[in-house]
Order: sequence, then structure tokens, then C-alpha cells
Amino acid sequence: MRVRLRFFAALREQMGPSGERTVRPGTTVEALWRSLVAERPELAAVPVRFAVNEAYVEASQPLAEGDEVAVFPPVSGGV
Amino acid sequence: MFRITRSPILLARLVRAVGDPAAGAVVTFLGTTRNENAGRRVVRLEYEAFTRMAEREMRALAAEAKRRWPLRKVAMAHRIGLVPVGQASVGIAVSAGHRAEAFAACHWLIDRLKEIVPIWKREHFRGGKVWIGAQQGGPRPRRAARRAARR
Repeated sequence: MRVRLRFFAALREQMGPSGERTVRPGTTVEALWRSLVAERPELAAVPVRFAVNEAYVEASQPLAEGDEVAVFPPVSGGV
Repeated sequence: MFRITRSPILLARLVRAVGDPAAGAVVTFLGTTRNENAGRRVVRLEYEAFTRMAEREMRALAAEAKRRWPLRKVAMAHRIGLVPVGQASVGIAVSAGHRAEAFAACHWLIDRLKEIVPIWKREHFRGGKVWIGAQQGGPRPRRAARRAARR
């Protein structure tokens, strides 16, 4: 199944703003991220949080067809 | 009013948005861009947001603040894009029947906003620029700085 990816800030500069990925049904957010890290080992050091369909989720969240997975480096609102 | 905007933050608009005849206090906060960080001379800051989610998270924070304190209204705005030194990047206004809860809620809201609202800050300083993660208390120095320097 297909899921969409979005990246922000420093991650956006490394990965581009968005992407798509084919994963097996039941794949978790964490497994998806591990597969990205496997291709780009430099990502392993980046502390990230995840949102699916614009809501924060735990890494153990299973993905569904068409989900939009946003990968955030640490947020930094304000001053 | 919960807004991510490319325009300057207007305090008067935030104050108007929380106007309420039952309020005895309006507390406001403006976060402004400082000219130095970690010993570096900052020339401007740049903000990026996941806009729809950021506005939704701000609304959720306001709802939580209203559960914690007896508030009247909350308004929050955060600027994105380039923000020159001295200008506001974030503004919050809280109205309440009495000042104690308005102060407490405003303080809590800016702290939580920085923790969870998906907004990122890039510091432009003399000689480079670097993405900053606020939770780490400062820039994530070496890797990001080197990457920025290569650009």
C-alpha cells in the first residue's frame, strides 16, 4: 500500500519536502522510518517525532493506505 | 484566533480577539527575535511550519488551557518566513476574569507551544545559518552548521 511522506526543516533539506513509499499493510511508523534510515544512515542521529494525518502518533502506530506521515525534527516555536 | 502568518504579528489584533465583557484581565506575550544566541550575532530568524497541524495544535493547547484555568478567551499567532531582529515571531493573548489565571495560562501556553507546535526555527548569523531545536536548549551545532556551511 502507498503512504505519503512529508519532511520539515533540516530533514526537508536532506529528503525533500515530500515523497511516497510503498509498504506492507500493518507496517508501523517506526518500521517505515527504519527503512528510510537504512538508506541514509546519517538520519540515524536525528531525533524525530511523527505525525500521521496531522496528529502526533507513537512510533508503534500501524499505517493505513493513503496515510500521510510527517517526520519532524525537534520543534522550535517562538524564540 | 489561531493563525500561522507571513505578516507581522499585531498585538492589537490578538487583544481584540480575546475581548470579553466578563474579563478582568488580558495578559499578552510577544516572543521577539534576539540579536544573539549562543555567542553568535543573529541577523534574522526564519520560521517554517506545518501550517494546518500547527494551527490545530494551537487550538488544542488553548482548549487544554481552558480546562486548567477559568479563562475567557485565547488567541495565538506565529509568524513564518524571515523575521528581522527585534520583531515578534509569536504572540499570545489570554483573557480571564482575574489576572492570576491569565498570567499562569499565558506562561504555560508559550512553553507548550514551543514543545509541541510543529514550527521550526533557522537562525541566520554572521557566517552561516543553522536549524535550531529549542528542546535542546540551543542549536544542534556541528552537523547542521557544517551542512549549512557547505551550502
